[in-house]
Amino acid sequence: MDNVLLLFLIVPLIAGILALLIPKKVRGPVEVIVLSATGLNLLLAAVFFKSNLAYFCPWVPAIGLDFSLRFYHFSAFIILATAAFGFLIALYSTVSLSDKTYAKHFFAYFLITIGLVNGAVLSDNLLLLLFFWEGMLVTLFLMIAVGNKSAFKTAAKALIIVGITDLCLMVGIVLTGHLAGTRTISGINLPLDALGGLAFVFLMIGAISKAGSMPFHSWIPDAALDAPLPFMAFLPGALEKLVGIYLLSRISLDLFQLHPGSWVSTMLMIVGAVTIILAVMMALVQKDYKRLLSYHAISQVGYMVLGIGTAIPIGIIGGLFHMINNAMYKSCLFLTGGAVEKQAGTTDLEKLGGLGLKMPITFACFIVAAVSISGVPPFNGFFSKELIYDSALERNLIFYLVAVIGSFFTAASFLKLGHAAFLGKLRDEHRNVKEAPPLMLVPMIIIALGCIVFGIYNKLPIHALIQPILSPERLEGHQFAGWPANTALVVITIIVLAGAFLNHRFGVKKKGSGLKAVDHIHYAPVLHIIYDKAEKRFFDPYNIGLKIINIISEIAWRCDRAIDWVYDTLVVKVTYACTNQIRKAHTGNYATYLVWSLVGFLLIAVFLLQSGKM
Amino acid sequence: MNYAFILFGIVFIPIAGSLLLPVAGRISSRLRNLLALFFVLCSFAFSLTLIPLILSGGTLTFSKELALGFNFVLVADGLAVFMACVSSFISAIIVLYSFDYISHYENQNEYYFMMVLFLGSMMGLVLSGNLIFLYFFWEMTALASWRLIGFFREKTHVLKADKAFLVTIFGALAMLIGFITIYSQTGSFDLAIIKESLKTIPVTNLAVLLILAGIFSKSATLPFHTWLPDAGVAPSPVTAMLHAAILVKIGTYVFARLFLATFTLDALWHTVIPIIAAASALVAAGAALIEKDLKRIIAYSTISQIGFIFFGLAVGNQAAIAGGLLYILMHGLAKAGLFLCAGIIEQNTGIRDITKMGGLFRTMPVTAVAFLGCAFSVMGIPPFGGFFSKYLVFSGAISNGRIAISLVFLVGAFMTILYLLRLFNLVFMGEPQTSQAKEKSRMMVACVMLLAILSLAGGILVNYPVRFIQTAIQGMVGMVN
Repeated sequence: MDNVLLLFLIVPLIAGILALLIPKKVRGPVEVIVLSATGLNLLLAAVFFKSNLAYFCPWVPAIGLDFSLRFYHFSAFIILATAAFGFLIALYSTVSLSDKTYAKHFFAYFLITIGLVNGAVLSDNLLLLLFFWEGMLVTLFLMIAVGNKSAFKTAAKALIIVGITDLCLMVGIVLTGHLAGTRTISGINLPLDALGGLAFVFLMIGAISKAGSMPFHSWIPDAALDAPLPFMAFLPGALEKLVGIYLLSRISLDLFQLHPGSWVSTMLMIVGAVTIILAVMMALVQKDYKRLLSYHAISQVGYMVLGIGTAIPIGIIGGLFHMINNAMYKSCLFLTGGAVEKQAGTTDLEKLGGLGLKMPITFACFIVAAVSISGVPPFNGFFSKELIYDSALERNLIFYLVAVIGSFFTAASFLKLGHAAFLGKLRDEHRNVKEAPPLMLVPMIIIALGCIVFGIYNKLPIHALIQPILSPERLEGHQFAGWPANTALVVITIIVLAGAFLNHRFGVKKKGSGLKAVDHIHYAPVLHIIYDKAEKRFFDPYNIGLKIINIISEIAWRCDRAIDWVYDTLVVKVTYACTNQIRKAHTGNYATYLVWSLVGFLLIAVFLLQSGKM
Repeated sequence: MNYAFILFGIVFIPIAGSLLLPVAGRISSRLRNLLALFFVLCSFAFSLTLIPLILSGGTLTFSKELALGFNFVLVADGLAVFMACVSSFISAIIVLYSFDYISHYENQNEYYFMMVLFLGSMMGLVLSGNLIFLYFFWEMTALASWRLIGFFREKTHVLKADKAFLVTIFGALAMLIGFITIYSQTGSFDLAIIKESLKTIPVTNLAVLLILAGIFSKSATLPFHTWLPDAGVAPSPVTAMLHAAILVKIGTYVFARLFLATFTLDALWHTVIPIIAAASALVAAGAALIEKDLKRIIAYSTISQIGFIFFGLAVGNQAAIAGGLLYILMHGLAKAGLFLCAGIIEQNTGIRDITKMGGLFRTMPVTAVAFLGCAFSVMGIPPFGGFFSKYLVFSGAISNGRIAISLVFLVGAFMTILYLLRLFNLVFMGEPQTSQAKEKSRMMVACVMLLAILSLAGGILVNYPVRFIQTAIQGMVGMVN
């Protein structure tokens, strides 16, 4: 019975390898494989959802690596969610990628990624977790690299950023294993002392980097333009948030004793708050559908990190609820972007407009997802954000203000995006645009309906999925489902949203176009200078990091050349100088040689006599 | 079969066989090539037959008494058999690759003669249980590598070969003096006797310093490393041999043999050696990011990775040593793959400046994939084998409390990802700059693919090498403590 857990790994991995092996020209079987494998994966996750399973088999016992899997309510939740998104996005991709030559490779890596994610989520051994986690690097790299011509550069950027943070995760895992004396995850619970804190920070770097938080985010907006679209909906949109936040909650809730008020908790909240505000400010001024969404994919992680970082139950519940909500509306948004791209041929907002009437279902899905992400009641994003606001306020007013301001800009940028793409004047070249094909619409509709259900019936996910993650002692009998407890906060939220709407009206009136609705913010004094520099990637931590590494390399290179100079020049010169001196002594004068010989003979005699005495 | 015969076979079949190769070459080049491969495979096969014996906890010794402590001793313990298997196996693949590679050039008889002699000397070194014979075989490898590096006979090449020879000989002489100091302390060159007599008294720091100079010069570690990038002028299979199978691994082997299995080092060295290794890893990684020559970049990468191996060995607990030894295997496979890929690229395009390459993915897809696989292994990304060795080194170091120095190596690991991706990007991606050369030889491409697949298999089946390494470590450290 417990062996069934292996199926979560075997099914996607074998299917992925099979898909790779199928010759290029044959299309049908690959799609069959993808749909049946993701379908089976979803079925397995649903059937066993309520069970508690564990699988154990030693792999390399000498180094503490056991094949130890644990399927319980939290991992089951993540597995089910990834399986559902995996299936829906696979369904969507069979149409959206139908004309792409790289489809086969994309699907193969897609399946292998699902297998590795299942492995990482199920692992109950730190080293096994690391194995699957870092293994995702390869497929991440390959999935981006198959995209358009400049994709390789972005793939390399992603591999470098995520690779470096994965190495940090490795150090964190080593340190944690060392401190705990065991590598079994369910048996670890460490205090956050000096070394524990260090271990936590390294683990956290790995987790939030996977989730796409700042400062490890900068490959995501680039990937939005270069990678195949389903990649964006699947990885940065849904999957990476799920596994990244999963790990972050595991380390905050189980592996370490994270208390409110500890420096680690404050640090997490700062990371979250900074991510919210900076990423949303960047999203606001984007002029590309997908790139705009990608900045929101970063910004929303900030809310989750902020919520979990508060270390109080309401924040943790809010963060986790936000994780699943975000995965829904964000993947839905990316899918609408993909539909627009496929039907209208571009995602450049300058070239879009008035598509609402031509693609009504896509537009409707977009509206649902956009109001969800903006936190409009009664959609799902509203409820999770309210929980996070509540917890942030409890910790410090600053964090609350940042979160609310973030919401203002989120709403503003979605008003701009929707206005620019779907309203306004239809362009001549888009006269014949049709609604996306049904197979692309179905996943969007299902996910959009999910946003509504998770909003109105939020008891359902919170009770069934989220609250069990916290132990009953930590919940202290609180209930987090239903209408938010703090009505004052709800009023403020509504005022802020109304403000965003008015701001949009103001912007449109001033510039006469939906796309330019936020230009009064973009080109505000001081702000536009910062924006200009940011658009030139002046602040990209990746570029800054590369510059630092370049300086180190330059120094290293100089050291290396200096050492080489010693061998190639100094030694040679010194040798020649010495031999020249000695050669000069060889004058050919018989008398000189005789004197040398006598002196040498005397020296030997003296030495022998001395040592004889000793 | 007689065990003494096996020991002799591992060492003397290639050494004696190498002498036959020039003769065989006069008869038929095909015969010579196959004979060369056969001799190397003999070493490998004989080494393999010793594995069951080692796993059951045994060791094999052959000794012949000679005057003045110059006893001729061959010892096959876990460490020796491990090294012998790794070296001879990788060498066999490299020799196979050479069939096509070297067929374009003059002096093939000399090439095969030197290659097989090179491997034979390595085998002798690995199995030697006596410092004098260890030194003797050590110098034999220096001679063979000197000829092989200057194989193309151009004036600059010969100078680089001389540089490699002089630097390593300088180190070797220092090491010899170190051996003599030990002799004056213990009265023997026989490792078993030395081990017994040094159980109570510590080895002098002067001897350790001198021997380290030898080890670091052979293993191209700061500040004796610059001959290794220069040695890249050699034919690519030779550089692969130098980096992956034989030459630079000698230093790490002797380090493990003497400093872990025979002496107990002063605590001072456990601090000093990791610092030197860290400096070496960082300086070389930095140089690899700046350098523009394909083979020199990979050479700097070796220097950097050797730093990780020394780090693991110097930390000296079970996990770190296992990591260091596993590193020798995984790095050997992957680095051989990288150099052999470089050989394919260099031979077909005729250039080595990576800024003048680009877009080779389209014309050399298999090479590119193999290159990427090997690069992933060197970066330490699972499921490739390099992941486990890197993990074990860090795991051992951190559980030993070496956190600060581990973080320095972490930066080294970051840079590894950077320079390998930069290399892949410039060579295989981007716009084509030169005529688009194709992969001509199937055999050569098959060899690099095999190495990439082995790097992957080494990760998935890591259980087997790790089990063997554990046994080897028990044999080494268990007796010292």
